[in-house]
Amino acid sequence: MHACGNFLRKGEGCPYSERSMSINKDREERAYPLNQIYFYLTEGCNLRCRHCWIAPKFQTEKRSYPVLSMDFFRSIIKQAKPLGLSGVKLTGGEPLMHPDIDGILEHIKRENLNLTVETNGILCTLEIAQKMAACKNPFVSVSLDGADASTHEWVRGISGCFDETLQGIRNLVDAGLKPQIIMSLMRRNKDHMERLVQLAETLGAESVKFNLTMPIARGEKLHESGDTLTIEELVEIGSWVENTFSDSIELRIVYDHPPAFRPLGKMFGDNGDGCSRCGILGILGVLANGSYSLCGIGENVAELVFGHVESERLENIWKKTVILNELREGLTERLEGICGSCLMKNVCLGSCIAQNYYSNKNLWAPHWFCEAAQKKGLFPKTRLRPSNSNISSND
Amino acid sequence: MKSTANPTANPMIVLREEFDDWAILFDPDTGNAHGINPVGVFIWKHLDGRHTGNQILQKLRESCEAVPQDAEKEVDDFIEDLVKRGYVGYEA
Repeated sequence: MHACGNFLRKGEGCPYSERSMSINKDREERAYPLNQIYFYLTEGCNLRCRHCWIAPKFQTEKRSYPVLSMDFFRSIIKQAKPLGLSGVKLTGGEPLMHPDIDGILEHIKRENLNLTVETNGILCTLEIAQKMAACKNPFVSVSLDGADASTHEWVRGISGCFDETLQGIRNLVDAGLKPQIIMSLMRRNKDHMERLVQLAETLGAESVKFNLTMPIARGEKLHESGDTLTIEELVEIGSWVENTFSDSIELRIVYDHPPAFRPLGKMFGDNGDGCSRCGILGILGVLANGSYSLCGIGENVAELVFGHVESERLENIWKKTVILNELREGLTERLEGICGSCLMKNVCLGSCIAQNYYSNKNLWAPHWFCEAAQKKGLFPKTRLRPSNSNISSND
Repeated sequence: MKSTANPTANPMIVLREEFDDWAILFDPDTGNAHGINPVGVFIWKHLDGRHTGNQILQKLRESCEAVPQDAEKEVDDFIEDLVKRGYVGYEA
């Protein structure tokens, strides 16, 4: 006899989380509101991270680079709200380098928009942290790529940044925010995972997220040089995090592998953290020069830049851009390769369209992680569409 | 309330059981997938046309601890949801 556990009760926080979860698309209900804009506020960054998929220019006191103008920022927000905008993400570059970050945060608060910030924490003073905390539903993530200074600074390329980042995190906590710590996994820091979580607990973080280093821009070079982990290692670590590590600690842990590799109970059970559905159909990127883009990928892929705030109405961009409409029509039926055969594709939406396009110049190309896992026989067989010969009841 | 009827699983639906006792129901006709938890899997395996909803619930109580008081409604709702999806029918 065994306990019934969560029985058939509904889960929380995910449109796919019922007593059971539907992994399907309800096409008839799709209206495509513009839920969130990702603002890449600065072309420059104060760090030189060797894995960065945006690859911003290194900014110093002597050399600075363009930032998004406040006029553009206000105009975009004004145009986006009638399209459904409920929140913004500030990222970069490094968003806190924006010379009018105070004004940006005040405007977000005034417009009652949900706030998400991705920062390296270095410029996160207590005053800025308090301004973030005053916004609606603030969620701040801070990158920390090692549990000690030498490892973090090897990844981040700047001496002394470890202590500055820790101080930024402390300022966020002092302001009443519980940030998420994000660590991008690579060979140099893979043995830091447990220590990093301990450090995050000590600092007062809400969660730790382990990102896979994406093979885009500098991350692509890191993959080529062998400084990232193999697919075998990534799958094994993911299984350990999901099934062992995350159950042994109180802090919420996220391992950012595609949903096909996640246990259903971890997503949809009583304590599940949801299906982490890709937001690609409800987001738009704005680059520091005022260009609209699929997301930050526009920094590296010109054909994924859709127009400029000065010359195009946002409504036209959102409703008439060919690529956006192709995605609305084609996801998920047009996904190719392993993604086309995956039972989770309507949850995952190809995991990262920007990454898939960058690697293959094809919007429907499969995700690198799943493709690599399939080649090594590591893709979960229960998540694959059964072949015709296998389709008999209780396969 | 269909607790006295005999629900039967659509034989075309594929059950994909996973290591943690959750499972995916896959409909090859539509390509749709539907995840169910271990209790749902237990119920699915008894949708053989020989058990009523009440009998399935009885077997569930025999096999599991801490089955909640309102389990009958939950089991009925679960089966009805599968009926709506076309995954389950009733013996005439």
